[in-house]
Amino acid sequence: MSQTTAIHGEKISLLRVLGPGHVWALGVGIVLVGEYMGWNFSVGKGGAIAALIACWVAGLLYTCVAMIDSEVTSTVAAAGGQYAQAKHIVGPLMAFNVGLFLVFAYTMLEAANAITLGYLVQTVGGMAGATDAAGEALVLHDKPFIVLTIMFLAWLNYRGVYATLTFNLVITAIAFIAIIILFFAVKPWTGEVLKHNELLTGLPYDWIGVIAALHFGLWYYLGIEGTCQAAEEVRSPARSLPLGTMTGIMTLLIAATMTWYICAGLMPWEYLGQAVTPLFDAARFMDSMPLMVLLFIGTIFSTLASANGCINDASRAWFSMARDRYLPQWFGAVHPKYRTPYRAIVFLVPVAVLFAYYAPLDQVITFSILSGLLGYTFMTFNVIMFRRKWPLGTIQRGYVHPMHPLPALVLLVLCGATYFAVFLGYGTQLMAMMLFFIIASLWFHFHRYRYVRRGDQFSMPWPRPQGDY
Amino acid sequence: MSNGDYIPPRQSALGQFFDSMFLLALVFAALFAPIYLGLAGGGKTELAIADKTTWTGLGQNPVMQAGWEKLGYTPETAAPLIASRFDYSFDLIALGVTALVVIGYFLLVVAFSKSEYREVIAERFGRKTD
Amino acid sequence: MPDISTLNNFQLLEYGAWALCVLFGLWMLFDTIKTDMAYSDDVLISSREGEIDDALVIDPTHQGGHR
Repeated sequence: MSQTTAIHGEKISLLRVLGPGHVWALGVGIVLVGEYMGWNFSVGKGGAIAALIACWVAGLLYTCVAMIDSEVTSTVAAAGGQYAQAKHIVGPLMAFNVGLFLVFAYTMLEAANAITLGYLVQTVGGMAGATDAAGEALVLHDKPFIVLTIMFLAWLNYRGVYATLTFNLVITAIAFIAIIILFFAVKPWTGEVLKHNELLTGLPYDWIGVIAALHFGLWYYLGIEGTCQAAEEVRSPARSLPLGTMTGIMTLLIAATMTWYICAGLMPWEYLGQAVTPLFDAARFMDSMPLMVLLFIGTIFSTLASANGCINDASRAWFSMARDRYLPQWFGAVHPKYRTPYRAIVFLVPVAVLFAYYAPLDQVITFSILSGLLGYTFMTFNVIMFRRKWPLGTIQRGYVHPMHPLPALVLLVLCGATYFAVFLGYGTQLMAMMLFFIIASLWFHFHRYRYVRRGDQFSMPWPRPQGDY
Repeated sequence: MSNGDYIPPRQSALGQFFDSMFLLALVFAALFAPIYLGLAGGGKTELAIADKTTWTGLGQNPVMQAGWEKLGYTPETAAPLIASRFDYSFDLIALGVTALVVIGYFLLVVAFSKSEYREVIAERFGRKTD
Repeated sequence: MPDISTLNNFQLLEYGAWALCVLFGLWMLFDTIKTDMAYSDDVLISSREGEIDDALVIDPTHQGGHR
């Protein structure tokens, strides 16, 4: 997450405080919402057991991502994360695409957060008693709350929300503790509440369902790579980034497994596979008002914390691209008073609102996951090119990941499997997304790039890259 | 800065506006087209279930039944959820085309990037022949 | 049966949410327009990658007040 950037006043003060703990908290903060919603669609795609396998395989994928990204980011210590990496290592068009991946992944995640929050308010409204037996006549509409979430957080970001970073971390911690409390409340050491034996009915789709489930399995961790965007503010990136990111992944792996264990032991998989707020539903099973309130708060907090970070990151990526003139430079403006990329923030509001308003949750999440997946694919060849253009020893690296190029190859294989998983059931979206990026790339190369200054794009104090350049 | 540096033109306000609108239109076209054309999530089928009015008919054991009821479902309202399945039968040609498009996309981007990157490096570090 | 008072509360909640949406939206819109008119574009888009904070304090009345 990049609450703290070169354009904001807090950058200098934060520069001295970010240690591994902060990196951990930053990463988990934006991602934890994935435990509260979205992951369970993987149950729908392959059954409950497939979802657990997908969760662990996705954990391996993200371990590779973290290893690779830690090395590159601790060296390209520029705000903007993967966008700046692509600019220095692969080239301008790749950077343009990576910037768009970031904007999409975060804007869609934001829309998904808003949908979840609106749905939860609606559910609780329904439980408060205004629905009749048929469940029709009087329901609280979710749309006003969906839009309100986006508008409010955009407004906060517009005003400069950096002071709320700590607050964000606190509400994330509460959301995390809520999962742990729920885990102990269901008494996993007894068979009283959780009925895995009766509810786990094997693999409804056989093994192809396991691969298909990988699609939403990414959702458990999506966004953890954002930790590396804090590279500039970290006290000693060499130590903090790998440590913080790895412990973040471990935390999520534990939280994800616990979440799966609770939900799979309570609900029929057909319901779980399409639920909007699975953890809140789990609390409903316990007949305990305090638990329900806790998980209600946890869900709300996790969506708010995540959406908040998403608006910040998406608008920052959009802003960075405009500043390099990859996009109309009008968006590269900084607010003189709040020092935020205010035009980028305002511009992205209608995009998020329209998607949150009209698109179904699983679609929105698929767009977000696809954008993330394209970004991970980029990392595989990015790190190989990085080692080729600047072999070890030619430049100062903050951290060198072990066993190169094995992590890159494993990541590439897992990415390939995930493309296939998305193809199963969501092939049209995959195709539409690829067409979008192809057209956008052609547009950039043949039209947009003429407004970009060439030499200015390489800002690292490195020697000339090796090879034919 | 050497003399050979590329000086980009300044884009007019109107040009900037058109570029923004173009991107916005492209985003919405790409992301909403599958939804509106009804192609999104099209890969669904229905299980043939003879008896959709009882839990046993839907193949649910007592624990599952208790779960559904706890969530406020009746056999009738739960039936569509239980019967719905993704259709994972796929066409090898469609898979091949999709794979080609994804790989082709990355090749295209890397190739174009490389030519642009050469200019960047040349401006930053000077031409190789110098 | 639903009672009328709850219904009213629900509608009130929804209208309240919509009103807040409009409020936040208009606030951002007006402030954007106001800012755009008050400063020239060259000033607003003058930020560069990696520049430090002090160079970016371009609103004298708020200098140093944002810490």
